[in-house]
Amino acid sequence: MIIKRPLIYIAALSTTVLLASLVNVASTGRNYSQTYPDVVCPPRLSGLNSQVSVSPSSTQFQNLENRSSKTVPFKTTRYVMSKSAVVIAAQGVTPIAWQSRPGGWAGGVLCSGPAQSQWFVGGSADVTTRGHLIITNSGLSDAIVDIQSFSENGKQPVKSINLKSKSFASIALDSLAPGDHSLAVLVTPRSGRVNSFMIDEQGAGLKSLGGDFVNAISAPATDLMIPAVPNEIQSKVHKNPSNHTLRILAPGNVETQFTAEILTTDGRFIPVGLNAHTISAGVVADITFSPSIAAKVFAVHITSQEPVVASISTPLISNGHKDFVWSTSVPTLSPLTMAISGLTPLLTFAGDSISVELSVTFLNGKKRTSHITGTDIAAWRAPANAKTVTFISTNKNTYGGAIVTSTDGYGYFPVEAGSVLTRVEVPNSNIRVLNP
Amino acid sequence: MATADKHSVTAIVVTHDGEMWLPAVVAALASQTRPIDQIIAVDTGSLDTSTKLIKSARIPIIAADRNCGFGDAVALAVAKMPTHIEGSSEWIWLIHDDCAPAPTALEKLLEAIDDRPQVAMVGPKLLGWHDHTHLLEAGVSIAGNGARWTGLETMEYDQGQHDGIHDVLAVSTAGALIRRDIFEEVDGFDSNLALFRDDVDFGWRVRVAGHAVIATTQAIAYHAQAAATERRSVDVEGALLNRPLLLDRRNAAYVLLANSSWWMMPWLTLQIFSSAIARSLGFLLAKLPGYAADELLAVATLVFRPATLIKARKDRKSKRLISPRIISAYIPPRWSQIRLTAANVVETLRSKIIPVAEISTNSSIESLDEEDLLVPTKSNQWINILRKPEILGYLLMSVFTLIASRDRIGNLMGGALAASPSGARDLWRSYFESWHQVGLGSSHAAPPWLVILALASIAVLGNIPLLMTVLFLLAPLLMMWSAHSLLGKLSKNRFITMPASFLYAMSPVALASINSGRLATILILVLAPRVPFILSAWKSIELNSWRRIYGLCLLLALFNAFTLTTTLISFGVIATAIFFDYQSFSVGQDKLIFLSRIYRRLTLLFVPFMLVAPYSFEALVKPSRFLAEPGLAIAGGSTPLVLMGNPGGIGALPWWLASPILLVLIVALFSSTSARQIAQLGIIFLSAAVLFSVISFSSHGNSGHAIMWTGSFLAIVTLTSIAAGVVLLDRLRSTLVISNIHYRHILAALLLIFTSLYAVTSTVWSLTSGATSPVQSGRTTVMPAFLTAEPNTKILVLREISNGGSKSVQYYISRGTDIILGQPDVAPGQIHEIESAAQQLIDGSGITSSKVLAAYGIKYVFVKNPFNPTIIRTIDGLGGFARTSATSSGVVWRVSGAVGRLIFTAKDGTQQVLQSGEIGARTTVPGPGTLTLTESFDRSWQVVENGYRLPRLRDAHGLSQFQVSESGEISLIHDGTIRRGWLSLQLIGIVLVVVLALPAGRRKREISESELA
Repeated sequence: MIIKRPLIYIAALSTTVLLASLVNVASTGRNYSQTYPDVVCPPRLSGLNSQVSVSPSSTQFQNLENRSSKTVPFKTTRYVMSKSAVVIAAQGVTPIAWQSRPGGWAGGVLCSGPAQSQWFVGGSADVTTRGHLIITNSGLSDAIVDIQSFSENGKQPVKSINLKSKSFASIALDSLAPGDHSLAVLVTPRSGRVNSFMIDEQGAGLKSLGGDFVNAISAPATDLMIPAVPNEIQSKVHKNPSNHTLRILAPGNVETQFTAEILTTDGRFIPVGLNAHTISAGVVADITFSPSIAAKVFAVHITSQEPVVASISTPLISNGHKDFVWSTSVPTLSPLTMAISGLTPLLTFAGDSISVELSVTFLNGKKRTSHITGTDIAAWRAPANAKTVTFISTNKNTYGGAIVTSTDGYGYFPVEAGSVLTRVEVPNSNIRVLNP
Repeated sequence: MATADKHSVTAIVVTHDGEMWLPAVVAALASQTRPIDQIIAVDTGSLDTSTKLIKSARIPIIAADRNCGFGDAVALAVAKMPTHIEGSSEWIWLIHDDCAPAPTALEKLLEAIDDRPQVAMVGPKLLGWHDHTHLLEAGVSIAGNGARWTGLETMEYDQGQHDGIHDVLAVSTAGALIRRDIFEEVDGFDSNLALFRDDVDFGWRVRVAGHAVIATTQAIAYHAQAAATERRSVDVEGALLNRPLLLDRRNAAYVLLANSSWWMMPWLTLQIFSSAIARSLGFLLAKLPGYAADELLAVATLVFRPATLIKARKDRKSKRLISPRIISAYIPPRWSQIRLTAANVVETLRSKIIPVAEISTNSSIESLDEEDLLVPTKSNQWINILRKPEILGYLLMSVFTLIASRDRIGNLMGGALAASPSGARDLWRSYFESWHQVGLGSSHAAPPWLVILALASIAVLGNIPLLMTVLFLLAPLLMMWSAHSLLGKLSKNRFITMPASFLYAMSPVALASINSGRLATILILVLAPRVPFILSAWKSIELNSWRRIYGLCLLLALFNAFTLTTTLISFGVIATAIFFDYQSFSVGQDKLIFLSRIYRRLTLLFVPFMLVAPYSFEALVKPSRFLAEPGLAIAGGSTPLVLMGNPGGIGALPWWLASPILLVLIVALFSSTSARQIAQLGIIFLSAAVLFSVISFSSHGNSGHAIMWTGSFLAIVTLTSIAAGVVLLDRLRSTLVISNIHYRHILAALLLIFTSLYAVTSTVWSLTSGATSPVQSGRTTVMPAFLTAEPNTKILVLREISNGGSKSVQYYISRGTDIILGQPDVAPGQIHEIESAAQQLIDGSGITSSKVLAAYGIKYVFVKNPFNPTIIRTIDGLGGFARTSATSSGVVWRVSGAVGRLIFTAKDGTQQVLQSGEIGARTTVPGPGTLTLTESFDRSWQVVENGYRLPRLRDAHGLSQFQVSESGEISLIHDGTIRRGWLSLQLIGIVLVVVLALPAGRRKREISESELA
């Protein structure tokens, strides 16, 4: 009896604790809202043709400069754009804009959501340039944007521009660092819903020297992968192998050493002069290399001590006229869907061990799944009547880029999502915010 | 009888049922050192043996009617006396049948008048009949409010402090010596004053007739005050209902109004009325309704018979020789009355709170024994003081508190504690207002603890920040004192009870509640140890008087005023008790006892709940209030922490600082002492705390769920654990001392080591990281000063709040300033549309957010830094928001459109913001249209135009809308009638329970002779 009652109490307490542990649904009190931000495709500049690949055809859009908030469906999967930029409710499918100057050049760019900052490593401000930096404000309030340029002569003064709501500005590249050849531009919005695009177009007099979109890089890194660099093999048509130019910038305050490794189907190697190459801080460096490889496409892996941004320019001949392609670094490949109707991109994957499962949806609605494997680099060309390509799964540290060939020229776009699923915590009403 | 002086003295003894005192009176008269020349007795219809006693003393007796007053009786005796011879010194000595003069009384009275020819009346010092050291009177006067004024304290001890011959307004007729010629000159006593106050009236009239009245303390008489103390019935004519108090108060008013100057009458009347009301209220509080009625009836009987007064004033005017102003010298000044009343109140309270300790019989002389008393003793008492555990304990706790509270001196805020308003006025206003300007506005009942804080702030002249500082500073000391008073009942060993009390104030729940600003838990920690003092028996609750039950009701209501969790606890405890009561009843217990228990227990449940209505009633429709603490809804800790007696949450002790609370309870369960019952109670409350620790709910302006703070339960767990520990150690010590080493020694040692370890580590933690607790002074405000420039403007504030290491974005609507005490408790709930607008602001999809915010009258959006810059850019990109500033405090956007509190929409759709006050408004509408009030919808909102109420609708946003049919001036009001009605009921309820809880006053006839002295 003396022991029994205490034991009953202890058992009761233990049972209570057990019950409490079982029903302990201690809520975090947090709910999340998941949305894909609308993406923006660049406006069509004078003399250019522009199409945007979208999917499905019911995807809603509106012209950027339309003052109403009303959206309409595309009713097509390849939309011919007017002059205005378009804002697309893409809902997780990344549209691709394809622009070309007939008989001059062509280039592709991802339509993307607003970004905190965008790096453009490419373009020129010398006498041959006809390029533009296009800045769009798809927000309903005015925007202020800082443009920081770098060139072979170092850091340039910051330019700030104001953009009215739902408008865009086209800034000639030669105004950013007049006379300088090698440009890298950082666009940072201070306020507003801002997207930027860069078109690098070269010409000498009336003669076009080609052009391309310079796709944006989100942030400098010490480990970069440029997964798809086109390469012209020496042949009867192309008497000389391509001279690629690696443009690289260490935007920090200290110089850095970098090493660029080429990944081909024949293996990996470091070209002469790209091993432990030192570059000054804040100065854009152009390093030309001409690898003797048999592959039509290769990847470049760059490692550095300090964060850098880099891209590779490759001059090409398309239908007898000069063109060039800017291949930019990409983030690691993750599941995503891209709208590719009207394009037949050569998708290139780079990585130590490549294993990518993708699904193609055709215009007729049928689907086909492919599994791409390989080491260092692997390529897969999308079928001609493909509407979308969905990357279902991938190995770790795999990167993807795409080369597109058209009658007007070559283009490149990175395989990455134009807008990522934004997970925003649903804010709670809590009077605690008014207590210090 | 032969006399040795020139005076002739006739003693007039008036008897009325005085057999109890008469023998002593007659003996006293017979034994006078200065013999009395003549004695005449007047009996006013005594029903006892008074007449026989007088006759047996051979005193001539005059028979009078039973309703014959004292003055008339004296007049009868004087009429029987031989005619006064002009020039002779003839005196009448008035003797009550309950007044025995000392043997030298007459001699001393005559000595006093020998060389004072102007004296017409002289009185002795009156002492108590039973206690001859109790000073009753040495001269008497009347205060402006009619009170009989003796200038003495209650039960004043006679040490000769008032000795001497004093010039006074009057002396009591008991033992008064009056010159016969003057007596006849002023027509004796007023026949309207049959009993009581005839002495003052007579003295007053003698004074204005140009004579003197003195009291000589060398002459002594012992007076039983039989009529005043209701030792005999009052049968005189005009004594309505035979009530002495009624007669006394009526006569007092009569004396004042009949004798005073005309110009003093209004002031005196006011004083008499207000005094009657005040005194009747006092008697009601003392549960003496009869006396209360006497007070009021006394005034009424006089007012309804003005002719008597007019005649009395006329008679007095004819006898008056000098200005009545001379009387003012004998009327006690008001400050004297206040001082004496205050002194009496303080002394009464002191005697209740600190009863006079029994004086030790061990004198220093005894202790020194044979030591030479002349040799100075070597004293080191100051060191001995420090050796006392009480002194050392409180000293240590004071030092600890001062160091640990170094960041808590000033305007405290943080944790669950909102900032204090500057003055108590704001708290009073919050409580009485029917509408609260918090968030989108709320008509919730304000919690009663606001009033308690406002009342408490009187001690610091209404300075609420100072009150909170003092409260948090003194809280550990108060907890320690309170616990020690209880533990002192369990053990006489101060070396056990003091450290235990220290540990109570340093317990995890105490530290956490102070660090996180939990007012209710602090209050419970301080007052919970007092509960056993009020309620001595719980099981046999019928043994407690109803007064005690109501006393406990008040204490429980005080708890309820801060947190309704105590109602939950009461419900659990009382339901369990009733269950066991029923079990006892079903096995044959007396039904009366059973019912008595049920009534008492249900009273303890319902009365405290009702006393905090309507706040408590609102909890019935919003049950989460039963689980909430005052202030901000801050989450408590997880189950494992609670199991260790730690309520958790911000400001709580870290998990690795485990307290011995659970260990002590478990060990005490196996004890054979009363520690076992205490531990069982502790385990029950601990189980309840564990169960409640898994409940999460939204409350007090927080739409998110927060885990319940179980501090109220753990306060009781901690108290029981410490009490059980004290009982254990107290008994164990003696056992361990005499026994060989065995497991008990080891167990006790482990317990002590664990406890000491906790005491040291928790002290170090409190002094270091604990000192930077959430509750601190000198915090910068959330809202920047420039946003307060537009008072009462609604601002949507977005801020990242840290919670358990992670941050989340939360929002609320500010009125331009930070919140203050009480506002979280009445904060309205979340509105879905605003929630969506806020969410869309953040995720960038809020194209219509600005329209929604504008519809609710939200003029600005303020993002408090530090904040995610991406979201700031997202808001920048949304339409309808114009950035107006970006400072280190944060970024502000103005919401576009017509935004205001009162929006007028004309028929053509144009909108106009109308001028509005803080709550109400008086403005003009330009024409027919719709008036929208951007406050939460409430039925009490009314708009009046041209004397008519405009029809009220609820618009699509759930806001109040009024249809205006024509232009003109309108008044917007929030009708607070219902709130005022509730408050009135609450006040009545509280007064009623206070009266029931107060000790009942006794009628004079119930007071024992010895107490009356």
